[in-house]
Order: sequence, then C-alpha cells, then structure tokens
Amino acid sequence: MEEALELLTKYGEDAKVMAGGQSLIPLLKLRLASFPYVIDISGIAGLNRIEEKGDYLEIGALATVNEIEENYLIRERYRALHEAAGLIADPLVRNRGTIGGNISHGDPSNDLPAVMIALKAKLELSGRNGKRIIDADSFITDSFTTVLSEGEILTKILIPLSTRESGGCYIKQKKNAGDFSVAAVAVNFVLDSSERVKSAGIGLTSVGPRPIRAANAESFLEGKKVNDSVAREAATIIVSESEPSSDFYGTVVYKKKVLLSIAEEAINLSYERAMVR
Amino acid sequence: MSLVKIKTKINGKEVESEVEPRKLLVHFLREDLGLTGTHVGCDTSNCGACTVLLNGKAVKSCTMLAVQANGKEITTIEGLSKNGELHPIQKAFLEKHGLQCGYCTSGMIMTSFWLLRKNKNPTEEEIRKNLSGNLCRCTGYQSIVESIRYGAELIKEKEEQQEMVVR
Amino acid sequence: MSSLRWEDDDLAYDSSVFVRGKGHYVDDIIIPEMLHMTILRSPYARAKILSIKGGLSSRDLGAKMASVGEGAGPNQRGSIEPVFATGYVNYVGEPVAAVFADDRYRSNDLLDSIEVDYDPLKPVVTIDDALNAGPIHNGMTSNVLVESSKGTDFPDPKSPIVLEDTMENDRVSTNPIEPRGIVASYVNDILNVWVSTQSVHSIKDGLVESLKLSPDRVRVMQTDTGGAFGSKGGLYPEYVIASYASMKYGKPVKWIETRREHLSSTNPGRGVRGRVKIFAEQNGRITGVKGDVLVDAGAYGTGIASFSAGFIAMMMTGPYSIEKGYVTGRSVMTNKVPQGPYRGAGRPEASFFIERMLDLLADKLKMDPAEVRLLNMSDKPFTSPLGMKIEAARPFFEGAVRELRYREETKLTRGVGLSFFVLVPAVYPGESARIIVKDHRIKVWLGGNSHGQGHESFVRKLVNEELEVPESVVTLFRGDTGMTREGVGSWGSRSAIVGGAAIVAVCRKIRKDVEKKFGSYSPETLLSGYFDEFINEEQKMSLNSFGANLVTVEIGKLGNVRVKKCIAYYDVGRALNREMVIGQIQGGMAQGIGQTLHEGLYYDHDGQLITSSISDAGVPLAEDLPNFEVKIAEHRSALPHGAKGVGESPTIGVPPALIRAIERASGKRLSKTPVKPDDLIK
Ligand SMILES: Cc1cc2nc3c(=O)[nH]c(=O)nc-3n(C[C@H](O)[C@H](O)[C@H](O)COP(=O)(O)OP(=O)(O)OC[C@H]3O[C@@H](n4cnc5c(N)ncnc54)[C@H](O)[C@@H]3O)c2cc1C
Ligand code: FES
Ligand code: FES
Repeated sequence: MEEALELLTKYGEDAKVMAGGQSLIPLLKLRLASFPYVIDISGIAGLNRIEEKGDYLEIGALATVNEIEENYLIRERYRALHEAAGLIADPLVRNRGTIGGNISHGDPSNDLPAVMIALKAKLELSGRNGKRIIDADSFITDSFTTVLSEGEILTKILIPLSTRESGGCYIKQKKNAGDFSVAAVAVNFVLDSSERVKSAGIGLTSVGPRPIRAANAESFLEGKKVNDSVAREAATIIVSESEPSSDFYGTVVYKKKVLLSIAEEAINLSYERAMVR
Repeated sequence: MSLVKIKTKINGKEVESEVEPRKLLVHFLREDLGLTGTHVGCDTSNCGACTVLLNGKAVKSCTMLAVQANGKEITTIEGLSKNGELHPIQKAFLEKHGLQCGYCTSGMIMTSFWLLRKNKNPTEEEIRKNLSGNLCRCTGYQSIVESIRYGAELIKEKEEQQEMVVR
Repeated sequence: MSSLRWEDDDLAYDSSVFVRGKGHYVDDIIIPEMLHMTILRSPYARAKILSIKGGLSSRDLGAKMASVGEGAGPNQRGSIEPVFATGYVNYVGEPVAAVFADDRYRSNDLLDSIEVDYDPLKPVVTIDDALNAGPIHNGMTSNVLVESSKGTDFPDPKSPIVLEDTMENDRVSTNPIEPRGIVASYVNDILNVWVSTQSVHSIKDGLVESLKLSPDRVRVMQTDTGGAFGSKGGLYPEYVIASYASMKYGKPVKWIETRREHLSSTNPGRGVRGRVKIFAEQNGRITGVKGDVLVDAGAYGTGIASFSAGFIAMMMTGPYSIEKGYVTGRSVMTNKVPQGPYRGAGRPEASFFIERMLDLLADKLKMDPAEVRLLNMSDKPFTSPLGMKIEAARPFFEGAVRELRYREETKLTRGVGLSFFVLVPAVYPGESARIIVKDHRIKVWLGGNSHGQGHESFVRKLVNEELEVPESVVTLFRGDTGMTREGVGSWGSRSAIVGGAAIVAVCRKIRKDVEKKFGSYSPETLLSGYFDEFINEEQKMSLNSFGANLVTVEIGKLGNVRVKKCIAYYDVGRALNREMVIGQIQGGMAQGIGQTLHEGLYYDHDGQLITSSISDAGVPLAEDLPNFEVKIAEHRSALPHGAKGVGESPTIGVPPALIRAIERASGKRLSKTPVKPDDLIK
C-alpha cells in the first residue's frame, strides 16, 4: 500500500491505478487511453475485506463484484447492493472487477455509484498525507471525473449499518442481456416506528452525466407512508431530477418513460421490504 | 520496452517467463506458451472466447495483463483433460453437439467448468445467466445449455464412481 | 525461409478437437520470422486524400479488388474498390495504409508513424441521401449502382383491395465469433495462403486477378473457420495486401481482424428497403404485386449489392401463386462499408416484405392470416411472373398449420405470428470433390468448405453408402486449392445439395475405376488399392424447399419483447444427419431473433459507426433466447442423395413470424427490423 501510494506520487499524472482492470484494460486495448505507468493495486493485502464494524459495513475497495454478490451479509441486509452486483456485466467480469474500480471509474453507467448514494455511504480516500472520508454522493463530479486528487486512492467503502427498519432494491433496465443499463434506480428506505419513511436514499444510473442523487424525491418521501399514489408522485419527481440524453440506448422520451416505471416499482418494492421486519 | 519476470503455474506446471508489461494474458498464453486453445473474439471484453481459470475462477484472459498473473494459477482448455482422457464437461459438449464452428467452445467449456464447481445442479435459467459473458454465434445456445446439463450428470456419475472406489 | 508445417492430421476437418482446444484457426499459425500486419483505416466516411507519409499504401500497391464469391457479378465501372484507398476514402474503416512488425503490439505502435492528410467531404450516408445527392464516385452519373426489374409492368387493376407499405431491414453485421484473418507466405515462387473462409477457390481467383498472378503459383488453404455467415466468402483488401507484402518482404505475413475492424470494414448484410403494393379481391385472393426494392450497397460494387436488388425482386411473390407481378430493384451507393451477403442474402428480405403484406391483407379483411396464405397457394407447381419456379405449395403448408399447432396457439395467446416461405438455394454452378484412396484410408476434399455445418458427417455417411466402407476410414480435409483444381464455396444453403451430389458422383466414378481394374467392386479391393479421382459436378436443377415458422411473444411494460415459443417446420429433404440439421436450424433461428429484436449497425450523419462493439451490434446472449422447437419434414429431392437446402431457412422464416407476433401483442403495425423497445413502450 505504502509502495503504491509512493509510486503514485512519484509519477503524478503519468500514473494510473489499476484494480481489476475491467474498465481500464478495455480502454488501453482500444488505444482510447494510454498511461506511461500503470500501478497495479490488486495485490494489496487486506483491502478486500467485507465486515460489519462499529456503525458501518466496511468493504475494502479491492473486494470483487463477485465477492459482493456472493457475500451472505450483503445478500441478507443490503439488498440494493446485492442486486446491483448481480446485474453488473457478466460473471467473468464480476470475478475481476472491484467495487473500488466500479466507483472510481466515474462512469455514469456504472451501477455501484448510485447504490452508494442510496445507501448514504461514505468513502475512505488514502493518500501520502493520510486519509479523508467523504460522502459518496459528492465523489463523482462529472462523467469520468472524481474528487480523487493526484496520488490518492479509494481504500474503503463505509455503509451505515442496515437495521430491521430498512429496505431497498436496485432495478436495472437493460436493452440486451449482459449490457449496461438504459436506466437504473437504487432505493433505500429507513422507516420510523409509525411506518413512515424516516430516511430515503435514491440514486440513479445512466440518466445524466454522472450518477444522480434524487434529492427532491428523497425529501418528498421523508415523513410519508408509501402508497401507490405517493410512489407515483415520487417517481415523477425522480424523472424531473434526471438529465438523460438521446443516444444508442434510446431517446430521452423513452428513457424517461423507463425511469418513471422502474422508479415507481423500486419505491414500492423498497417500502414493502422495509415493512417486512 | 523492458521485460518483467513473472512466475505462474499454468495447467499445473510452474512457468517462469519474461514478458512485456503491456502484454495481455491471452497473448502470453497463445504466443509465448503456444496454448492456442484460448481464443480472441473481440476487443471490448464481451465475447468470452478467451475465458480461462485464474486461481479457480473463470475470467477473461483478454482483460488481464500477463504480469497480473504473477504468482497465480491458470488453467486453460488444454489443462482440463487428464492423461488424454477428456473431462466430463468436454465429453458432454462433444456428445450433445454443444458446438458448431468451435471458436467459442474453449471459453464456453471453461465457464461451464467453473459454474459446475460452484453449482453442481444448475437450472436452465442459471446456466443461461452464467453464460452472459460468453457469446456463441452458431448454435443458438440450446445445445450448449444441454451440454452443460449433461456435463453436470456426467460429473456426478464420475464422483459417485470415485466414491465407490474409495469405499 | 521457414514455412508452416502442419501434419496430415492437422489439415483434416475434425470438430472433435475443438473441445480440447486443439483447433487450427488462422491466428493459431505461428511461423518464425512472421510479420504482423496492421491496417491504418480511414477515420472519415468521405474525404480527399491529400497526402500519405509512411506505411505501405496505394503508391506501392495500386491494385483493384476482384469481385468473387457469393453473388459476385461484373464490377460496375467507377465503383470498383481499390485495394488501398486511392485519391479518396469512401467509408470509415477503409484501408489506407499498412504497417508490419515482428509482433502484434509493435505493429500496432507503428500506426503512429503514418501521417495522412485528408480534406473531408460531405458523406452520403442513407439510402435517401444516395437518391438525392450527387454521385460519390467520379465517373458515375448517379449513386444508382444497378437497376433491374423482374416481371412485366401492368396498369394498376381496379381491385377492391389495394394495399401498400414500405418496409425495411437495417444493416446487420455477420459477427462470427472468429473475426477474419489470413497468413500469406511466399516460398519458392509459390504464394501459400491460409485463410478463414467459406471458399478457398474464391479467394484464390480473387488474388490471382487482383495481383495478376499465375493461377499455378497460388495455393489457398482453409484453416478451421470460426463461423462466417456470408462474410467470409469473398476477397477483401487485407488479403491482397498481406499476400503482396509477403512477396515484397520475403517473409510470412499475418493479419488478424479486430472486432472493431469487423464492424467497420467487413461487409455486413441486409440494409434493404422495399415498397410493395398488392392488389386483391374481397375474398383474399391476391391478383397482382408491384414493388420497388432499394439496397444500400455501400461505397463500392465489390460486395453482393449489384446482385441482390434483382434477386430480392425475383422472390417477391414468396410461395404464393400470384398471377401478375412487376418489381424493380436498385442498389444505391453510400459512404459506408460495402454490403455483402449475410445468412440468407436477399431471401430473408423478400420473405419479410411479402409476409408483412399478407398479414396486412389479413388484417384489412379481418381474415385469419393462415387462411389468407393458404388460399393464395396452388396445389400444382407454379412459375411466378417474376421468374421463380416453385413446387406445389398448398399441401405442405396445410400440414405446417397443423405441425406448428397454429390453431391451438392462437387460442392461448394474442401474440402469435406465422410465416411461410420458399427457400431458393444457390445450387448453380455445382461443386467439386476429390477422393484419394491410399493405405486403407479415404481422403476427401470438397470445393466448398465446412465451418461448423457438419460437412464431415454427411461426407462420411455418403461415402459409406456409396462405397460400402466403414465411416471410420473416411476423412474430410479442409478446403485446399492445391487438392481441388476448381470449386465454388459454402453459402446459399448449398453445401449438402451440391457438395453431397459431388461426393456421390466422385464415389461412383471411383467405383467404376475399381470395377474396370479388378472386374468387380468390393470395399476391400478399393481400400487395398490406390485411386485418385476429381469431379466438378454441375448442378442446374431448380430445387427449392418450403418452410414455416410460428413464434409467440410477450411484451414487457417497458417494451422488451420476450420470445416464448419459436417453432420451425421445414422440409430439409433427406436429413443426412438429423442432429446437425437441427443444430443448424437452432443457430439460424437465434440469428433471426437477433435481426428482429437486437441487431443493427448504425452510423451518425457523418457516417461514423456508432455500434462499435459486438455487444452494441446486438449479437444475442443465451439469456435473450428461448428454447427452440424444430420439426423437420423429409421430402427427398430429385438428387441421388435426396438433400435439400436448410442453412438459411431460419433467417428467412423467423423475422416475419416474430414481427407479426409482436404486432399482434402490441396492436401496432410494424414494418422495420429491428423492433426496439422504444417502438413498443406504452
Ligand atoms: C463487458 C463489460 C460489461 C460491463 N458492464 C457493466 C455494467 O453493466 N455495470 C457496471 O457497473 N459496470 C460494468 N462494467 C464495468 C466494470 O464492471 C467495472 O467498471 C469494474 O468493476 C471496475 O472495476 P475494476 O476493478 O476492474 O477497475 P479498473 O478497470 O481497474 O479501474 C477503473 C478506474 O478506476 C480507477 N481505480 C480503480 N480502483 C481504484 C481505487 N481503489 N482507487 C482509485 N482509483 C481506482 C482506475 O484508475 C481506473 O480509472 C463492464 C465491464 C465490461 C468489460
Ligand atoms: S476476447 Fe472477447 S472477451 Fe476476451
Ligand atoms: S460454435 Fe461457433 S461461435 Fe459457438
């Protein structure tokens, strides 16, 4: 780890971190990007642990998507994360790709950043001068751009512990199997004792230049019990917070229709799951 | 470009080599070691023709650098049969016509091998989902799915036989 | 200088080695001193080349492409593709220059050493652009490459029912999982070429013509071929360049296509529009059909485009007995990679157009689509006004309605589609075969080459039947112009028909040789002797076969289509190997579903390719597809071995049945493939 950080500092802009390489190598192969130095961090010991510790579920940045998908704790308590992991790429890519890489790539079509937003996760970033912890929500600033400064890497993901009152899901609409999404929604609710939404987290994939936090929809839902009309209205707010553009995956109109539908479904399903204690 | 020394275990054999840091694992296997059973079908990590096992897990050898295999174990299609005898999953692909042109076959077999290790009795749906990183353009997948189902049976039979021998 | 040493067994076609990873694909060839070739391709759809510095380019090799392979026709003046772009580039991905190094990475690095100056021009991207804009090539007066017509024009009758629609199939990349590739090695004045191909003879003829070589100085050998689907039948610029370079540099040269190159620069299929008008009576009887077919030929006439417009026009009446017909066809030039054959090569387009019209007619008259189809068929053989001869259709299709459980399925769900078609295989001009009997073994070569269709199994079976020898002594070798002096290729559903007929003919010739030499024939005398016979068996007979498909679907609320049932009922003639035939059909049905729901090649208005990965191009995954149900009818053909065509049936039959099922389930008239969720979402 020390060595990696040192090399990163030494080579500055010329260096690029590689974890699982499932995003980076395709870019290098197609000569879409090139870096004089690629620093492989996948060998750093201990950076792939997944455990509940204190107030958080801690996930090392090098945990593979497959390890997350198959982790018992995550499957039982962090459904949005479990479901998203199982929908990423294909099993072979999931065997190599890491959670840290999935988030750090800054791709608005990558699935885990939206899940981090919904779960209100915090990210631990480490550099030569120590660590800092930031909200996942503020990590990606634009397409393929993050707040990571030169010489810094993402080391840990901290997800507030799931309680019996929480429930969530991830719904991803794909064009073809094994593909990135047309649109996807991550939702996580924590309810209060009267079954009202105490805290809502909503993250969106593929519908803007970066993963989007649907903040207005979150505040709209907080303090309410979810029923069909509330879900419908929240979904409409979510759509108004999205910024999709027309491309190969579909037109803006189509993507908004898709988002409206899956957002409503995700809100209802998450609430249902939170109600089941 | 300067060469990097790597040590790997490939199909059970320790191999020491010197490779360019930018060389993909698949090219190392095919061109440096002559293991041409691992194929290349795309440049966007979609097709899975290049699938090998890395420490027991199926991965795309075109989306990995050879240097990243340092200290790791790799199994390719050439490493599945033992003493000239086909592994049951290979037999199953032959018998159930799980191939036509044969180009996707190595990758399909490596993924199936891994799948059947994790899940001895997969349903059709599980099989299809687990093949989402492997493309076949010839068969329409139905015979591949049948081959994997049949492979699961053959593996079970073989294990039962071995148990009998042990007893 | 070194050459490739493959032992005898390495040249045999043996699909059982694939499960061990012991195939002999072209990229597996490693020869010492071999150079890797990388092609610098045009980044523009249309531009004037101002200068090229570095690399091998048109300055060094000013050759023109030859038109060979499936659907090859004489090249049209002004539209002949140069091997290297000369003066202008005309599509994104067109070869501009080539570099060579001893390793693929270093060869790739050398791309940076070439400098090209372009003056970009406004490209012609769509069929409509082509019709409206000036010609893309100097020396042509418009963008129309060819214009033809079938049938005789007739004044529009005063029919009670007149229906018209414009329909389209987008371009589709063939996308075999093994991309194209070649190794060329010039040793002792012989150009040896190993290539992944459907036809060694086409490649040889093409190289001979393009490089002006003497035919006896060129030997083309087929490597194991990882799928082709039409795209590996003809000559490509890279083959000429690699061959030329191996002669120029005196070293073997290897070129292996990347997937990105495949998508930008290998001839894709479809890209056809049809405007069709039918005239019918109130009772559903169609009295006449008129149509106009437009084929997006791409930038050069080297592909199949000059042939396909007329071919599609000829088949526009489908299996129906329509008395009057007049169909025009035009192929137009655009600044895109030239169009080529893709499984079906015109047959799926024609079937799509006429089947869509029959469904439209059924809806208009509120009749059952199966009924409308049957009442437009004949109990007798029929020659269409467009020049297609078909056998008595009605009896087969009455059976098909039952076999496909059409009545039952329509009771179960709304989303049911049915299609009927007649397959016209490409039998002309026949095929060649050679047999050598030596050391108790029978070695067989065919003019057209297997790439997964199971040629080896029908060859063994036919040799066993004709010569009464065990199948185990028979070995089929991969295509090799050194072993067959002429031959055709594997496409157009022809292999079992013409290849099989050639095998039967050469076996009979050998049998006669044995009788002549020993007085009587026995397998033992054959096997203990030495015999060598070659035959080029001509085939002129018109052979066609019928087929029908039924598809059922469900549409999700976001517009995604799920195919539930996909059933085929095809007449395959005598099935020489049932399992192989069924495998072929299943694979073809997957491609039919792919074309209808997922696949397409798209360009932006600058002619830049948008779909640049195999995933974007939509090749279906296991999860996207259903289990198929294949039923085969075996009505023997008039050939001695009874075979008929089958390879292309599924890509002809599935798209119209599937789109109809979606149309029924969604309630929206659909006229174009692929159908996208955008079209269906509520
Ligand atoms: C065929 C295919 C399909 C895919 N489909 C999907 C999909 O549907 N959904 C989806 O979400 N993803 C998809 N992906 C992308 C892939 O799953 C993820 O991007 C991958 O998990 C990234 O992880 P990695 O470890 O491989 O990252 P790498 O490729 O190693 O790195 C990616 C980027 O992150 C940086 N990075 C990596 N780790 C760190 C770290 N710890 N600290 C700082 N920076 C770091 C690298 O410098 C690089 O810029 C697909 C990929 C492929 C090849
Ligand atoms: S070669 Fe296609 S995924 Fe590796
Ligand atoms: S058998 Fe040809 S790609 Fe699968």
